[in-house]
Amino acid sequence: MTEYVEAPPAAKLSELSASVGSAPAVAESVTYERLLEARSEPQNWLTYYGAYDGQRFSPLDQINTENVGRLGTAWVFQFGSYGLHAGASTYAFEAAPIVVDGVMFLSGWDGWVWAIDAKTGQQLWQYKHAIPFDVSLCCGNVNRGVAVAKGKVFVATLNAHVVALDATTGEAVWDTVHGDVRAGESATVAPLIVKNQVIVGSSGGEFGVRGHLDAYDIDTGQRLWRCYTIPKPGEPGADTWPADSPAWARGGGNTWVTGTFDPELNLLYWGTGNPAPDFDGEVREGDNLHSDSVIAVDADTGEIRWHYQFTPHDLWDYDSNMESILFEEDGRKLLAHFDKNGYFFVLDRTNGALVRVTPFSDRITWGEITADGGVKPQIFPDKEGEAVHFWPGPAGAKEWCHAAYSPRTNMFYVPVQDVGSTVTRRRREFKESIPYWGASVTVDTTDMAGQVKAFDAATNEEVWRFSWHLPISSSVLATGGDLVFCGTPSGEFNAFDARTGDLLWQFQTGSGHHSSPTTYSVDGKQYIAVPVGWGSWVEGFAPGMMGGPHGDALFVFALPSAS
Amino acid sequence: MAEQNGSEFSFGTKNRDWEVRPVATTKRELSGLISEIGLDKQNGATLGRLVAHGGLAHALEGPDGKMTAQIRIPPDQLIWDPSILVLPHGGDVEIELVNDDTNTHCALLPSNGDSRWIWLPVYSRGKTTINLDGPGYYWFSSNVGNDEGRGLFGAIVVLGDVPSEARLDRPEQPRP
Repeated sequence: MTEYVEAPPAAKLSELSASVGSAPAVAESVTYERLLEARSEPQNWLTYYGAYDGQRFSPLDQINTENVGRLGTAWVFQFGSYGLHAGASTYAFEAAPIVVDGVMFLSGWDGWVWAIDAKTGQQLWQYKHAIPFDVSLCCGNVNRGVAVAKGKVFVATLNAHVVALDATTGEAVWDTVHGDVRAGESATVAPLIVKNQVIVGSSGGEFGVRGHLDAYDIDTGQRLWRCYTIPKPGEPGADTWPADSPAWARGGGNTWVTGTFDPELNLLYWGTGNPAPDFDGEVREGDNLHSDSVIAVDADTGEIRWHYQFTPHDLWDYDSNMESILFEEDGRKLLAHFDKNGYFFVLDRTNGALVRVTPFSDRITWGEITADGGVKPQIFPDKEGEAVHFWPGPAGAKEWCHAAYSPRTNMFYVPVQDVGSTVTRRRREFKESIPYWGASVTVDTTDMAGQVKAFDAATNEEVWRFSWHLPISSSVLATGGDLVFCGTPSGEFNAFDARTGDLLWQFQTGSGHHSSPTTYSVDGKQYIAVPVGWGSWVEGFAPGMMGGPHGDALFVFALPSAS
Repeated sequence: MAEQNGSEFSFGTKNRDWEVRPVATTKRELSGLISEIGLDKQNGATLGRLVAHGGLAHALEGPDGKMTAQIRIPPDQLIWDPSILVLPHGGDVEIELVNDDTNTHCALLPSNGDSRWIWLPVYSRGKTTINLDGPGYYWFSSNVGNDEGRGLFGAIVVLGDVPSEARLDRPEQPRP
């Protein structure tokens, strides 16, 4: 008979690392009032876009056009992966680092959340949500970031939970089930804190789910409201779906990118995704509201006050999840939106009226949008088995990666993808949890291009462009130093003169960029932080880079200290 | 293959100070095919043993709802037995790990909050409790040296559905 010895006690993985295990209680004092005035404390990056308006602009100006050439690495945070995990070939580092009084809160792939000393890069704590290997991930093992308030860190998980963590320890405080993984739902969005609510969108539009936006009580995790983006019979917009058909129930319209918020109007501006099936419109005749739209949602009730649909009856997978940037023009409340369909829309954000629309991408062949907003489709997959080719491809002229706006220059800075695609309609039956595209799709691996483009906010006219041989698939950051930062799929992290587009600084990070850089300062020193880790839906937005280095690092840059 | 494991190692007997729980196994036609070409053993068809081919067992659920399970490493096979552990639903499960092998291994187990890691010296046993949501399945492994590639990967399967309040407001939909 074997005599057994006691194995050493099991340990948490973080206990076998250099992680400190706790963080200063900086998040206790992050209140809704501070979030409302987030830009007034530029040392911090308090919320996903830096402020509710989505401008991704920081007034910090220590790093500027004169000295950016001396920018160097301050520290690097890396993590990698352990064991087998979901979407092993698709994980990417997509987050926007949040910084509160010297502590960075950051999410990664596969359920990781970290607190890091923003000055030194020392890991303070880590949280790991166990993600099922078989969870449905339409577009990779990714997460776009966390929200921080009232002493907690909030994260949406790939298996569609919303978890609140103690910001000092990383321990879970509450955990609420947000969606149905058996239906193909998941969650990748960075939550948004509004008042006493955690606002969270849903993912899964490629699986024929029904998109929704939810608000949870910040203290308890109890759901306060749910807003379905696709109306069921009898609800406003239901007449844009076939009558006597289950199409609405599988209609998509997911909400997987963080929205913006106007506190005066009490409206959330949230983008919605493609209708399902993506390319087979014959089974869903009509405009298919509220897919491919911005919906203005009452922040207290979840009711849709108005909507604007950018691509009615979408046949090209042109989600409109990407940001609506809030700005003012002669006292008028406007929003700017660069859509996958290649057009730059400016709307009156009080009522959704179109102010102007212009193309921002070089090659647009799917159709045309006229100055009055009329949509004229030209090339689309309407015959079974017959291939069509169009620009931009399903990843769009701009994917979820965010544009920025500088009030100093009154310009928008936009990451542009110029990639076409061949699509052949292939009808299929709907089955819950099976991808529901209704087409065969191959995105071009050659003849592609990308740009960072600057547009005059007053006229929509292009002011400058930086051209690259690959699609630009990462977010832009604008700063008070009149700099614009943006990475490339080939690993370069670039700083441009915000007024001229001149390339002033470049650093090769070793992996492609598909994230949102942010900036902050500690003890009076400005830092630029950018997660780097190529992956996600590469076959959609840049298949010519399917073999690119994967990566998993957060780079933080600063000027050298004075000697 | 699972049947072979069950008979080769004294499952169902009592050792000095711990109780062995029965390991339920299932066998399918696929298992026979895999065994026929030697994918269910070390250095047979391939260098290692096909992952997750060390038997299947269900966790036990007590009247208090507490789930328990036992997973062993039999000698010279570089497998977990069972290599597929089935939980009836999400929640906490206490797992006892037993190393019957004459080599040192370890276990990296998924758990909400942080993964659990435990040394498994020769002829050792140890317990840890993990928390999983489900539904879905999760990999665990001995994440050292050749252990993972040679076959010391296993799956924890969590059955069930999400709570009704988390499901979509729509009629029942067809499934594959």
